[in-house]
Amino acid sequence: MKRNRSFFYHITVFVVSQLAWLALLGIWIYWYVSNYIIFKTVGDKLSPGIIYNGTKVLPFVGGIVLLVSIAFGMSLIFRHLNVQLRLNNLYDNFISNITHELKSPLSSIQLYLETLNSRPVPAEKQKEFISMMMKDAGRLKNLINSILEISALEQKKIVHDFQIYPVNSLLKDLVDGVLEQFNLPKNSIIIEGKVDCECMVDKNAFKIVLNNLTDNAIKYSIKPIRISIKLKTQFTKVVIDFSDNGIGIPSSELKNIFSKFYRIYGANIPNVKGTGLGLYSVKEIIRSHGGKISASSEGIDMGSTFRIELPVYNEFVRKFKKSFMVNIKKKELIEKTEDNI
Amino acid sequence: MNGGNKILLVEDEETLAVGLEFNLTEEGYLVVWAKDGKVALDLFYSQKFDLIILDIMLPYINGFEVAKKVREKSPQMPILILSARSGVEDRVKGLELGADDYLAKPFHLQELLLRINGMLKRKMWYKNAASVQPVYSFGDNKINFENLECHTKDSQIRLTQQEAMVLKYLIENKGKIVSRKELIEKVWHMNPEIETRTVDNFIVRLRKYFEPDPSSPVFFKSIRGAGYMFNAE
Repeated sequence: MKRNRSFFYHITVFVVSQLAWLALLGIWIYWYVSNYIIFKTVGDKLSPGIIYNGTKVLPFVGGIVLLVSIAFGMSLIFRHLNVQLRLNNLYDNFISNITHELKSPLSSIQLYLETLNSRPVPAEKQKEFISMMMKDAGRLKNLINSILEISALEQKKIVHDFQIYPVNSLLKDLVDGVLEQFNLPKNSIIIEGKVDCECMVDKNAFKIVLNNLTDNAIKYSIKPIRISIKLKTQFTKVVIDFSDNGIGIPSSELKNIFSKFYRIYGANIPNVKGTGLGLYSVKEIIRSHGGKISASSEGIDMGSTFRIELPVYNEFVRKFKKSFMVNIKKKELIEKTEDNI
Repeated sequence: MNGGNKILLVEDEETLAVGLEFNLTEEGYLVVWAKDGKVALDLFYSQKFDLIILDIMLPYINGFEVAKKVREKSPQMPILILSARSGVEDRVKGLELGADDYLAKPFHLQELLLRINGMLKRKMWYKNAASVQPVYSFGDNKINFENLECHTKDSQIRLTQQEAMVLKYLIENKGKIVSRKELIEKVWHMNPEIETRTVDNFIVRLRKYFEPDPSSPVFFKSIRGAGYMFNAE
C-alpha cells in the first residue's frame, strides 16, 4: 500500500510540475508578446542613445527553449526516479525473500540441535534429524552460492570452462544429473528430437540452467512433474524447448520473470520459496554463451515453455572468438599462477 | 502430559514441520500438519483444535488471511504466529488480526513450548471463568464471555480474545488494584519482554468500548503508580 501511495505521489508530483511548467510557458509567451511594445517604448525613453539591432525573436525563442529544456530535464529525472523506485521495490522483495530463505533452514537446524540436546531421541529419529539438517545446510549453501554466482556473473568474473559438446549427448548427461539430483522418476523428463551439431558450452554453468528450470517446474506444479525437452536446429542456432506441466505463467508476467529479484505472488502460487535470482541467473548464463532465452505459456494451469537458443559451434566461434580467447588466456594465467603457488 | 490437546501446525517448510511435530508429540500434544493455507483452513473447518501454530509466508493463502478467517469463526481459538518475518509491521498486523502471540524464527524450542503451554493454560482459565459467569453486566454494558459479543449503550461489538481476557481478569478482581505486571503475567501468562504499553493500549480500548466518557473513566480507573482498578458500582 505504501509503495502504491509513493508511486501515485510521484506521478502526481510529476503531472503537477509539468502543468506548472506549461502554465509558466504560456504566461511567458503571453507576457512577452503583450509587454514587448511597452519595453520598446520605455527603453527608448530611458536610453534613447542605445540602438538595439539584434534579432527580436532571439530572447523569445531562448526563453521557450530554456523552459522546454527544463521540462525535458524533469521528465528525465522522473524517469530515473521511477526506475529507482522499481529497483527499491525489487530490492525490498529480495531482502524479504532472502530473510525467509536464510531463516527457515537456520530455524530448522537450530530446532534439531536443541531437540537432540534436550531430550532422548531414538537412534532412527536421530538419523532422520541429521538428514534433515544436512538438507537444510545444503539449502543454505546453495543459496549463498547462487548469490555469489550472480555477483560474479554480473561483474564478468566467472571464467567459463567452454568445451565443445555434441548437443544430444550433452543434454542426455545433464538430464541424467538433474533426475538424480531431484530424485525424479526416469520418465519425468523426456528428450524429444535429435540434432546433428555441436555447441560450445560450459557444462557446469549449463547444469545450473537446467537445475533452475527443473526446480521451478517442481516448485510451481501441483501435479507430479512432467518435463519435455525438444531439440531442433534453426539456421545457425540450436533451439531447446524446455516445457513443464506446471501452473503456467500469466502473459502479463512473461517479460518480467527474467528480471533480477522479480517474483510472482498470487493466490494460485503453490510455493513461496525463492529469491528471485534463479531465472535471472539462467538468463545471464545463456547470454554468456552467446544465446538467448524466452518464456511462453498458454495460460494458467497450461504449463510453461522456456526456449533456449544457442549458437552452433562455428557460429559461436565467430561471435565470441574474441571474448573466448580472453577467457582462455585468463584461465591459463590462473592455472600458471596456481602452479607457481 | 498435556491432556492430548490438539494442535494444528501450519508450516510449509517440511524440515521444520517434522521437527516441530516430533517435539510437540513428545510433549503430549496431538499434532495435525497443514502444508499450506488452503489445507489449513479445510482442516480447521472440519476438525476441532485447541491451538494453531501458524506460519505467515504460506502457499495459496497467507498466514494473515488464515488468522483472519479463523478469528471470524472462532474468536477464542489461540493462535501463535511462528514466522521468519520479524519486523514490527508484521508483528502488529499479526496481533491485530487476532493472533495471540508472535514468535520470530529462528526460535528456541523451550521458549516455543512454554508459550504454547501458557496459551493453553490461558484458554483453560478463560473457559472455566467464562462458564462460571458467561454473561456479565455493568452500567449499560452487557458482555457475553462465550461468544465475546457485547451490547453497549449505543452499539454492539465483538471483543477479541485478548480483550475479553483482560476484561475478565479485571472483573474477577473487581475493586482491587491490578498492576500492569500482574496483568502481563496472569493474562499473557508470560512474555516478559512485552511492553507495559501493550496493557495500556488494551485499557484504552476497553474504555473506548464501555465508558460513557473515556476521558474520565468510571469503570476502568488508573491508579497512579500502581496499575488499574475495575469498579462497577
